[in-house]
Amino acid sequence: MEQSKMPSWLRKEVMESGDCTRCGLCVGLCPYIKTQHEHVAFIHDCSRVDGNCYRVCPRTQTNWVDLDRQVFGTERTDHGLGNYLKVLYARSLNKEITRAGQYGGVVSTLAAYMVESGQSQAAVLTRGEDNGPPTPYLARNREEVLACSGSNYSASPSLSILNTGVFEGLEDLTTVGRPCQILALRKMQGLNEASQHNPSARKVNFMIGLFCFWALETEFYSFLQIKTEGERILRLDIPQNYLVATTEKGNVQVPIDELRAFVRPTCLRCFDPTAEFADVSVGSTENDPEWNTLVIRSSKGQEIVNRVCTAGLLETKPYPEERLPLLLSAVYKKKKRVLEGLKQGKGYMYLNLNSDYAKGIEEGGTGL
Amino acid sequence: MSFLSLQVNKSGRSVLMTGNEAITRGAIEAGLGYAASYPGSPTSEILANLGRLAKEYNFYAEWSVNEKVAIEEAAAASFAGLRSLCIAKQNGLNVALDSLVSISISGIKAGMVLVVGDDPGAHSSTNEEDSRLLSKVVHIPILEPSTPEEAKEMTLAAFQLSEKFKLPVTLRCVTRISHASGNVTLGEVEAVNKEAIFAQKDRFVTNAALHQMQEVKLAKLRQVADTLPFNTYFGPQNAKTIIIASGPSTLYALEAIDALDLENEVGVLKLGMTWPLPEKFLLEHLKHAEKVIFIEEIEPFNEENVMVLAAQHISKIYPLEFYGQRSGHVAGPKGPGIGEMDPDKVKQSIARVLGVDNKSEETDAKSSAKSETSDVPVREMAFCAGCPHRASFWAMKSAVALDGRKAVILGDIGCYSLALRRTGWTLPQTMHAMGSSAGIANGLGKLDRFNFKQPVIAVVGDSTFFHSTIPALVNARYTGAHFLLIVLDNGTTAMTGHQPHPGMSKNAMGEIVEGLQIEEVVKGLRIPVVTQDPFDLQGTTTVVLKLLRTEGTKVLVLRQPCALVAAKASTRPRVYINQEQCIGDDCGCSRFCSTTFSCPATIWDPLKGKAIIDEVVCNRCQVCVSLCPQGAIKVEEGANFGR
Repeated sequence: MEQSKMPSWLRKEVMESGDCTRCGLCVGLCPYIKTQHEHVAFIHDCSRVDGNCYRVCPRTQTNWVDLDRQVFGTERTDHGLGNYLKVLYARSLNKEITRAGQYGGVVSTLAAYMVESGQSQAAVLTRGEDNGPPTPYLARNREEVLACSGSNYSASPSLSILNTGVFEGLEDLTTVGRPCQILALRKMQGLNEASQHNPSARKVNFMIGLFCFWALETEFYSFLQIKTEGERILRLDIPQNYLVATTEKGNVQVPIDELRAFVRPTCLRCFDPTAEFADVSVGSTENDPEWNTLVIRSSKGQEIVNRVCTAGLLETKPYPEERLPLLLSAVYKKKKRVLEGLKQGKGYMYLNLNSDYAKGIEEGGTGL
Repeated sequence: MSFLSLQVNKSGRSVLMTGNEAITRGAIEAGLGYAASYPGSPTSEILANLGRLAKEYNFYAEWSVNEKVAIEEAAAASFAGLRSLCIAKQNGLNVALDSLVSISISGIKAGMVLVVGDDPGAHSSTNEEDSRLLSKVVHIPILEPSTPEEAKEMTLAAFQLSEKFKLPVTLRCVTRISHASGNVTLGEVEAVNKEAIFAQKDRFVTNAALHQMQEVKLAKLRQVADTLPFNTYFGPQNAKTIIIASGPSTLYALEAIDALDLENEVGVLKLGMTWPLPEKFLLEHLKHAEKVIFIEEIEPFNEENVMVLAAQHISKIYPLEFYGQRSGHVAGPKGPGIGEMDPDKVKQSIARVLGVDNKSEETDAKSSAKSETSDVPVREMAFCAGCPHRASFWAMKSAVALDGRKAVILGDIGCYSLALRRTGWTLPQTMHAMGSSAGIANGLGKLDRFNFKQPVIAVVGDSTFFHSTIPALVNARYTGAHFLLIVLDNGTTAMTGHQPHPGMSKNAMGEIVEGLQIEEVVKGLRIPVVTQDPFDLQGTTTVVLKLLRTEGTKVLVLRQPCALVAAKASTRPRVYINQEQCIGDDCGCSRFCSTTFSCPATIWDPLKGKAIIDEVVCNRCQVCVSLCPQGAIKVEEGANFGR
C-alpha cells in the first residue's frame, strides 16, 4: 500500500505546497527534517531515491481501504465515523483531572492510566508553554500527564518526541494525536520493509485520537497575546462560536470568525476529523461541558476503556440518539467538501478512495 | 629559508630566503623604525616575522585593525622621522587608498615604503587585481622585484628613494616572489635616525596646490629611473625583437627564449621600476627593435605606458610593432591578462608572435611538477575537520529552513567564505569586500517599505568585525536596519595564518595585551547581542530562529576557537563510530556524516559499507555525535590520550 518517492518530493509536494499537517513523524528519522516552534522544515535535500518520510506522511498517497483492513481487519460500513464499536459519552471520575482537563477529561484519564499502570512507559503529549505554542512532551508518570492537560488549538509536531523516545530506548508508548498524526502512525506501522529500522509507530501500544476539524497557525498565539494584553493564559476553549481564553484577570472572548484567518490551509483538505484509525477517539459533545464524546474503535480500545471503567476512573453513558445525526452531519459536510476538491483536481491527491468509499460519502449524511 | 635565516647577522653571507623574508631583511637593514600591517596573502609573513624581530632590532611592529589605520600609522612614524613600512595585499591597498592619496600629496619625511602583495591567479584572494594602477593614481613610484634577492635590494632602494623625494614608494610583490625562495646576500643594518620628533616647522597637509609638487617629484624620479640597476637589458645589443617584462615574468621570458633557442635573436628588457618609466633607457632599446612583446601579469600596465611613450617618440623609433595583451598574442588559455603567466604560456606567446615552432609543449619544470604530483588526490576546498564554521552554517541553514521566509545570508571575507562552496552548502548569496555583508545588510534591512519580507543575516568573522564592520553597525543603529549580524568568533585571524587582532590578548610582538570583547563594542552601540556556542547545534538553531523573528538590528556571537588552534591544545576525548550501530546505506540519513555534513574526518568505509572516523584528521569537536540518527557516533569515555 505504501508509495515511495524521493524525499525531495516530500519537500515539494507536501512542505512547499503548504500541505504539511505538522504531525512530526518524519522529524528525527534522519538529520534532514527538523522542527522548532511548530515549524517543520527540510534543512537539506538528501539523495535517497526513497524514504520512509515520504511513505509515512499523512499527506502522501494514502489508501483508506487498505488502512481499514490493516487496523481493523475489515472495511467500513459507516462512511461518516469509519470503523467503530461504540460511540458514547464519557467523563473522568477524578476531580483533579476534570478540573484541569478539557470537558470530561477522558484523554488525560486514559493516558494517565496507561502510564501509571505501567502498560505504557510514557505518553506522547503536548505541554502548554506560557502564552506560546505548546511543546511536544514525553510524559513518564501521572503528574507529567496531568501537567499536559487541556486543549491546544495549533498543530504541534508532537510525534517528533515519539521518535526521540524510541531512540532513547522506550518500548511501549501511548500516543495522543490529531487525526493526521494517527494516520501517520498507522502508515508507519504498515511499512513493508523496515527490518533495519526501528519504526517508532510500532512501539505505540495505545492510540488516542482527538476530534479535530482544523488547527490554527502558530501566529495565532501572537494574535492571542494582543487580545489578552499579554496576560498569562491559563486555559483555552472554543465552546461554540467564540474562543475563550482564561487568564488570571478573567475570561477574554474572541469571535470564531476572527480565528478563521489562522486556520491552516491543509486542514481544509482533511478527510478525517474524528481520527478514524485510532484505538479510541475523543472529542467534545458540543452540548455538555461535563462530558466528552468517546468513540471506541478497536478491540484494544474497548479493552482498555473497560479496564479504566472497572478501575473506577471513568464513567460512560450512551450517546444521546438525537445528537448523533448532528455529529455525522458535520463530518459528512467536511468529507464531501474534500471529495469535491479531489474530483476537481484541486491537489487533494493524497486521498486514494475506492468507488465504494467515495459513493459512501456522496450518499452518506443525506436526510440528517 | 626560515625565520632563522633572518637572524643570521653576517654581512656578505648568502642565505636562502623567501621573497617575504628578503623584504623583511631589507627593511631591517634599512634601519626600520615602525611597521604596520593587516594580514593578507601573499605578504602576511612579513609583519609576522617583523613582530618577532622587533625587540632585537629596536623597531615597533603591529597588526593594525585595518590597512587604512596601518598606512596612517606608517605615515605618522615617517612624519616623526622614523623609517616606516606598511604591508598590505592588493585589497588592503584599496582599503588604505583614500589615505594614501592624501599622504602622497602632503609628502612625508623619513623613508616610507608600502609593500603591496598582488595575487595573480587569485590563489588566496577573491579577485585578481593589479595594484600598480592604483600606485600610478597615487603618484608614487613602483618597484617590482623579479627574485628574492632583488626584493631585498629594492626594499633598501625604496627607503632611499622615499626619503630623498619625500614620497611613499610602492614595492609591488606578487605571490611567486613572496613565496619563492632564492639566495639573498646579507648586508649591514644602516645606522639611521631612531629618535622620533615631530618638528615644529613641519606641516604635512593635503592640498590641491601640492599637485604640482607631485608632478615635479615624478619628473625627477623619471630621470632617476634611467640610472637604477633594476632596469636592465639582456641579449643581443641590436636585437630586432625585444621582450619587455617585469617581476617573475622576466624569468619566464628568459627561460622561454632559452627553450626556443632564440638567445641570439631576442633581447629581454627588464623593468624593475615600472612607474615612472625609465624613458631614456626604454627609447634606446625601442630604437633597435622592430617587434616588442610585453610579458606581464594581470593588467597591460607596462604595455600601455610604454606604448604611450613610443607614440610620443614615434618618428625616432618607427617602424615598430607591439605584441601583448592588447594584440591578443600574449595570453593564457582563458585570454589575455587572466591568470598567472608561466614559462609555457610565455613560450607559446613568443612562438605565436615570431611564427616559430614551439617545439615542446611543456617546459621541463612543468612536466616534472606534473609527474611529481600525479599521485596526489584532488582535494575539495572545505572547512577543516572540527571547524566551528561548519556547525555555525548548519545551524544557520536549519534556522533559515525552519523560519521559512527565505532569509538572505550575506557572506564576507575570511575562512567562512568557503561557505560559498559545498562545504557551507553554498549558503551565502553575496560576498564582496571586508565588512561588506554588514553594509549590504544595512541596505536590505530597510527595504520593508518596498514590501521586502525576507529576513537578512550578515556573517562576519571576528577579525573582519573589527576591521570594517563597526561603522556599518553604527549606521544600522542610526537608521534602524532590520538584520542579524552573526560574528563567527574563532578567536583569531584564521584564514591568513592566525595573526593577532584587537579581540585577542596578544599583539604582533608577542606581548600580552587586553583583548577587546566583541560584545562590549556591540553593547556600547546599544544593539542587542547574544553569545552562543556553535557546537551546540540545537541551541544555536533556536537562537538564530528567535533572532530572525526579532525586529531591528541584532548581533549573535558564535564563539568557538579555530579548529587548528583548538587541536593543538585540546584534551578532548576520542570520537569514533560504532559500526555495529551504523546501518550504512539502509539508514535514512543517506550517508549524512560523510557526504552532507561532510566533515573531512568522517569518511565512508567501503569494505564494511558503513561510516568511519579518520582519527588522524578528526579534531574531536563532537558535533557529528548529535547528528547521527542511529546514535552510532560515540565519544570515548575516560579516554584522554594523545591530546
